[in-house]
Amino acid sequence: MVNKNNKSPKFKQKEIGIWPLLTFNFCTKTCQKCPPINHHSVFRPLHSSSAIFWWLSILSTTITLRSLSNLEMELNSIKDAFDRVTKKQKLSSSKSQEIIEQIGQEIEQALSRIQSGNDSASPSDHKLILNELKAKLKEIAPLSQLEGTQKDLNIALSKYPKLLDKSFNPDISKAYRNIDFDIHTVNQIIASHFYRQGQFDLGDCFVDECNEPEAAEKKAPFLEMFQILEAMKSRNLEPALNWATNNHEQLSQNGSDIELKLHRLQFVEILQNKGRDEALKYARAFLAPFAAKHLAEIQKLMACLLWAGRLDSSPYAELLSSIHWDKLAEEFTRQFCNLIGQSYESPLSVTIAAGVQGLPTLLKLMNVMTGKKQEWQSMKQLPVPVDLDREFQFHSIFVCPVSRDQASEENPPMLLSCGHVLCKQSITKLSKNNITRPFKCPYCPSEVEAGQCRQLYL
Amino acid sequence: MSSPMETDTQLPNGNSAGATAITPPSKLGKLADCLKLEHQFLRVPFEHYKKTIRANHRAVEKEVSAVISGVSDAADSDLSRDDAVIQLNSLVSRLQGLKRKLEEGSRTEHLQAQKCRARLDHLDSAEVDNLSEWNGIRLKRILVDYMLRMSYYDTALKLAQSSNIQDLVDVDVFHEAKKVIDALQKKEVGPALAWCAENKSKLKKSKSKFEFQLRLQEFIELVRAENNMQAISYARKYLAPWGATHMKELQRVMATLAFRSNTECATYKVLFEAKQWDYLVDQFKQEFCRLYGMTLEPLLNIYLQAGLSALKTPFCYEDDCTKEDPLSQEGFRKLAQPLPYSKQHHSKLVCYISKELMDTENPPLVLPNGYVYSTKALEDMAKQNHGKITCPRTGLVCDYTDVVKAFIS
Repeated sequence: MVNKNNKSPKFKQKEIGIWPLLTFNFCTKTCQKCPPINHHSVFRPLHSSSAIFWWLSILSTTITLRSLSNLEMELNSIKDAFDRVTKKQKLSSSKSQEIIEQIGQEIEQALSRIQSGNDSASPSDHKLILNELKAKLKEIAPLSQLEGTQKDLNIALSKYPKLLDKSFNPDISKAYRNIDFDIHTVNQIIASHFYRQGQFDLGDCFVDECNEPEAAEKKAPFLEMFQILEAMKSRNLEPALNWATNNHEQLSQNGSDIELKLHRLQFVEILQNKGRDEALKYARAFLAPFAAKHLAEIQKLMACLLWAGRLDSSPYAELLSSIHWDKLAEEFTRQFCNLIGQSYESPLSVTIAAGVQGLPTLLKLMNVMTGKKQEWQSMKQLPVPVDLDREFQFHSIFVCPVSRDQASEENPPMLLSCGHVLCKQSITKLSKNNITRPFKCPYCPSEVEAGQCRQLYL
Repeated sequence: MSSPMETDTQLPNGNSAGATAITPPSKLGKLADCLKLEHQFLRVPFEHYKKTIRANHRAVEKEVSAVISGVSDAADSDLSRDDAVIQLNSLVSRLQGLKRKLEEGSRTEHLQAQKCRARLDHLDSAEVDNLSEWNGIRLKRILVDYMLRMSYYDTALKLAQSSNIQDLVDVDVFHEAKKVIDALQKKEVGPALAWCAENKSKLKKSKSKFEFQLRLQEFIELVRAENNMQAISYARKYLAPWGATHMKELQRVMATLAFRSNTECATYKVLFEAKQWDYLVDQFKQEFCRLYGMTLEPLLNIYLQAGLSALKTPFCYEDDCTKEDPLSQEGFRKLAQPLPYSKQHHSKLVCYISKELMDTENPPLVLPNGYVYSTKALEDMAKQNHGKITCPRTGLVCDYTDVVKAFIS
């Protein structure tokens, strides 16, 4: 009942105006996007514009569910349309050939007649022949013949791009903000993308061509990384071990056990290739320091010594698997990037991939916002959520289910005693700013008190 | 419906926690949506193909009509027999030349048609299973597009060749642009004017005034060289036809005759600056892109902007932002600075320990100090430490039994 009193009369109207409509159309059990009608709408009037955007996002989900099969069909019809174009083009081109052939023959015939009629013919004979040829060519009417096939081709040629416009987003730059996108920054990002992918030639060529010598700074660390990886590929762990030893402090600070993993692999290599004595020596020198933390692991490795020379038929055969090498290379890359302050994935790839996922939503938004281009250019926050896959979630974001506000330092998420979480301002509102006055949790029948709510740190 | 209570009670606790699970719209739907962005990918090679077809056809028409009129000329004029033979022979060899040209033209047409088809097939080949590979190629395509537009041709070519994606990028199309741009950078308008003549009807359709701008620049160069008489006759011939639509600009440029190149008057001084040529280059690039149905901005910029907006949150600018977030990098932050923040309608919790997204399978747990971690991470920690949990951010030690569930919707 507390909740009901919160509503302003004005809002009541809106709620009735918009939500029943939405509910009627979309709030079936299968629609996961559509929020349950009860909570948020009760506490906070929806702005009419955000209602439109909500509509939009709901609409778009229902549309995408059906769109792939559509697109597949469309791709097929596009292919068909293209085949029509090439067919007409071939027709037109063979027609041209035919006509040229025909004209050529006529001329050559006339020519041979003029030449063969050598002496006996009267001097005006060749004139007659020329006039005949002229009449003949006029009769063939090559130009109008050409026109005919060309007309068909033109129809196909103009239909195809129209089909493309219809099936695809004809202008994906519609959602582009006209701001100064610093070329140097973009170029540096591209250069380091090439370097971090190990494409050093390309990177150098690019840095050279776009004339950004300072972008080459990123090269050296990645060069080192790829040299170590190359060595690992040829089963040489020496450079990787050197690197791990040099960065021992930082690695253990990050809680990484990559050093041990490298030594373990090296130990198995030595055991396989040089025999038990060498392996034992190696273990004493390099594995012993890890005993304190990784005793079980080292015991297992020591047991391997018993099977020297026939490790592949031992209970530890698994240690020989080449998967360990691949995994270690990946982990090494991760750790190396981490130490030089870089991400494991190329940030350019990540951003572009996020852009590809986000752009369709932004384009739909722009269709709604036509005529409000100015507003778009100055907007501080997108009016609609852009759904990205989970690999693009880097931060914990709490959105209060009651107020729909994003939590912030001033308005942190709070845990109610029943286990539901709301943000501070919503709790203040619900409790009428009284920390001992019980109120009903909007999600369950429990009565809770503001004073018993605990702040959460996500 | 107006009473929240009734519906609330239907929601058991588990259900509201279920709302944490972000149900992604079906992967297929997303794939279809991202394929729909590939308009330019199909359009550009088609425009190129169409252009070749048209050019070939025009050549045939022109030659055929030339031969026909050659015949009727011969018939109408009073040629001697030998002259007639010579004339006809020259027409025959002309036709043979045309035949060769036509064959060559068909070969080009065929290659370009193949390119169009290769792209259709490439779009068709995108499946949910091979998506990461397909996306890798897409990034390369986007990079090549950027480089071609920025005139970094060597790198563009190298990238296309090393990744074997020549059919999927427009290096050959930009070859045509390169000639014009190189000339403009050398302050020559010849190739640009030739390009305008070649694409006259299309430029006219889009109401382009690029040719006019080229003419203006040529006029300015004449004034700079103090060839005033020549400048005036040039203006009569080439500028006057634009008077109907662009009188203002025409008048302004004509005034340079009075002000000359060493003027201090700002309105006219700017017309003599060298950057006018850079402006012409930019203008040309725009016209060129429009003509081929490309976006006016490089694809890279479009996708980067969309991606940065989608990723941008206030947390990205904090010091402890994870390195995996592109926005932790200075360059990306700088680019994102004028862009809007993303918006969230649902909570998304990323576990501080495992970096995994929490959902119904891996729901959030709260430590006695209010810090939230995922169930999986805390379970693992408890297993390894005899049921004890250490909060990685505060150092607080507690029992696994002390943690409570939180329902975050």
